[in-house]
Amino acid sequence: MCVGLSARVVRVEDGTALIDASGAQREVSAGVLEDLEPGDFVMVHAGVAIAKITDSDENETDDLMENLS
Amino acid sequence: MSDKTVTLAHGAGGSQTNELIETVFKAHFSNPEFTADDAAVLPVEKGRLAFSTDGFIVSPWRFNGGNIGKLSICGTVNDLSCMGAKPLYMTCAFVIEEGFPMDNLEEIASAMEKTAKEVGVKIVAGDTKVAGKGQCDGVFITTTGIGQIMENAHTSGAFAKDGDAVIVSGDVGRHGCTILLARDDYGIESDVDSDCAPLWGTVESLYSVTNDIHVIRDATRGGVGTVLYEIAGQSNVGITLNASSIPVDPRVKGVCGMLGLEPLYLACEGRLVIVAPQEHADKIVETLRKGKYTQNATIIGHITSEHIGRVVMETEIGTQTILPAPKGELLPRIC
Amino acid sequence: MNENMKKARDIITSYQGKPLRIMEVCGTHTHEIFRLGLRKLLPEQVDLISGPGCPVCVTAIGFIDEACWLALEKKCIICTFGDLIRVPGTKMSLAGARAKGAEVKPVYSPLDSLAIAEENPDRQVVFLAVGFETTTPSACITVKKAKQKGLTNFSILTANKTMPNAYQALVGSADAFLYPGHVNAITGNAVCQKLCNEQGVSGVVAGFTAGELLTALATTIRLLEKGEPFFRNCYPRVVKDEGNLSAQKLMQEVMQPCDSEWRGLGVIHDSGMKLRSEFADFDARIKHDMPNIVGKPNPACRCGEVLQGKCKPSDCKVFGKGCTPLHPIGACMVSDEGACSAYYQYTEHE
Repeated sequence: MCVGLSARVVRVEDGTALIDASGAQREVSAGVLEDLEPGDFVMVHAGVAIAKITDSDENETDDLMENLS
Repeated sequence: MSDKTVTLAHGAGGSQTNELIETVFKAHFSNPEFTADDAAVLPVEKGRLAFSTDGFIVSPWRFNGGNIGKLSICGTVNDLSCMGAKPLYMTCAFVIEEGFPMDNLEEIASAMEKTAKEVGVKIVAGDTKVAGKGQCDGVFITTTGIGQIMENAHTSGAFAKDGDAVIVSGDVGRHGCTILLARDDYGIESDVDSDCAPLWGTVESLYSVTNDIHVIRDATRGGVGTVLYEIAGQSNVGITLNASSIPVDPRVKGVCGMLGLEPLYLACEGRLVIVAPQEHADKIVETLRKGKYTQNATIIGHITSEHIGRVVMETEIGTQTILPAPKGELLPRIC
Repeated sequence: MNENMKKARDIITSYQGKPLRIMEVCGTHTHEIFRLGLRKLLPEQVDLISGPGCPVCVTAIGFIDEACWLALEKKCIICTFGDLIRVPGTKMSLAGARAKGAEVKPVYSPLDSLAIAEENPDRQVVFLAVGFETTTPSACITVKKAKQKGLTNFSILTANKTMPNAYQALVGSADAFLYPGHVNAITGNAVCQKLCNEQGVSGVVAGFTAGELLTALATTIRLLEKGEPFFRNCYPRVVKDEGNLSAQKLMQEVMQPCDSEWRGLGVIHDSGMKLRSEFADFDARIKHDMPNIVGKPNPACRCGEVLQGKCKPSDCKVFGKGCTPLHPIGACMVSDEGACSAYYQYTEHE
């Protein structure tokens, strides 16, 4: 129900962040994330950065799978 | 820069019409066969002719990597080329909106000249109409072309055979992505540029490898995905693609990620889908990769006698899944 | 595929236990699961059913009628997520309204509709606010901005929905839920944890990549085998236990809970969000004196039962006959995330 896109923050100004997803850039609201900084990765949905994230899902699945046996 | 614009008088058939033709069109399209009469007179060649026409409306008329002029030559040149026909002659008809800047028209005609020269096709007749303000959007162009089919070329969307390789001549979806961004409806910026290119040279190079090529199609509106479904239908075969081998520019991937779009369904204007027997496939790809517009050519799948009429993707988790058939309007999927 | 993905895949394919019903609640999960062909990995006794988590699919038919009324009777410019344009209303879709002269603009973000309002000061602009907790903050930010800017030609038509009471309505329809990762990114995990602790409802929060979906499914199957109710966050790189506190605060400031009609599930108490009275100037229903508009769904359409996992799309009489992605009757056939559309496009049928 909620297509999300992980993207890198290029700059932040007045509650607005410029984000970059492999060269496609767009301004999105940073209104619900405090302390965003250039270089952070965020999950973007409908023009709003909704969560600070780690870029890759690899380590995440590593940990989860190690606990599954 | 001048501030001159096209007026209704330029389309009235009088001296101003002549002025427009002399200063813009003849200046760019001049060649011995360019006619001042009612129709161009052309020699008849032996063999078979290919004959095609296409109308072009694109908003905005200028985009990263080309303009409507270049597009209007490429479109018809590529249609002829896909039949194995060397483009010989073209005509072009303009519908221009009153008030369209003369400099822009000049830019469009200049792009047409450059593209036609590259291919070696001659523009031999044309027509100009001026529409009242608001009756058309800038400029509409219709081009028609005649080409001489090479003796040994026999291709059709109906000729794909079980076991054939499916090759795409470059990364997919660039033109559609470029236009989507140029319209600026979604506030997304990227330096992605259109793949718009004339492909006669590419087709010629294919035939230097082998005459045994079953299908050549240029993917335009609807993208590579639509062409593949057309081939599957016309040839009554199935097509299996390897999802990870489909070349997509990262910038196109980024835009598609934002808007929930499938790159295979974004328009191309300089990409061929080629279906040929497996034994020629590697050599074809190797040859294409030396070409100006086809350096990212690659094998993306094969023709099969299974799942007739459908395009099936081999996915990253080792399953097979159907590529959804093309639908109408491309709408972003967000919520 | 890396080693972990292979391991997860093996857990899924080699399952031999009792029959399991797992519901992917989220429409984006449905879409990705079909795109990856994930169902083909499942052993016979594991059934993955699609839940009601596509906002387009659960939006009541009357909402489309309201939007068409604003577009045609009030000549408003309608800004909407593209997904909604082809959804049939009682008489027509927004695409149909557009053919009758209405102005309907797809936007990427509700924030973009503010620019459209500013560019068209002599027109009224309405944004169609659908979506769950993930999407609602974007509508709230937009309304707050419109207020700051003092815009008088902008409003939103709300059909925002919240998941907790929908989960209650779905309890018992599956052995475990794959919870929608991006909803939990906003709301946090408390509701899901509570469902597990108090009602024994099992589930995992799932992400959207191939690796994340395989992991979530493998985790679910393994834990179901053990038999104890469980809750796991399988999407920790995005979802924190507390969620996004600023977004939660923002939603409370701008909107308040209300009863909401879900296509197929009926009216669920306190499962919707509407603008608070301080923002009434931006409520399209109030601003444009909207009459009470009640939609009439096509009686042949079984979207409602499909959304609850009570029947498969192919059990519906009109599926693939009168109802196809090009000529949809029900919302589940329109949205690319709808179960009917996904079944139609991704499975072999005549």
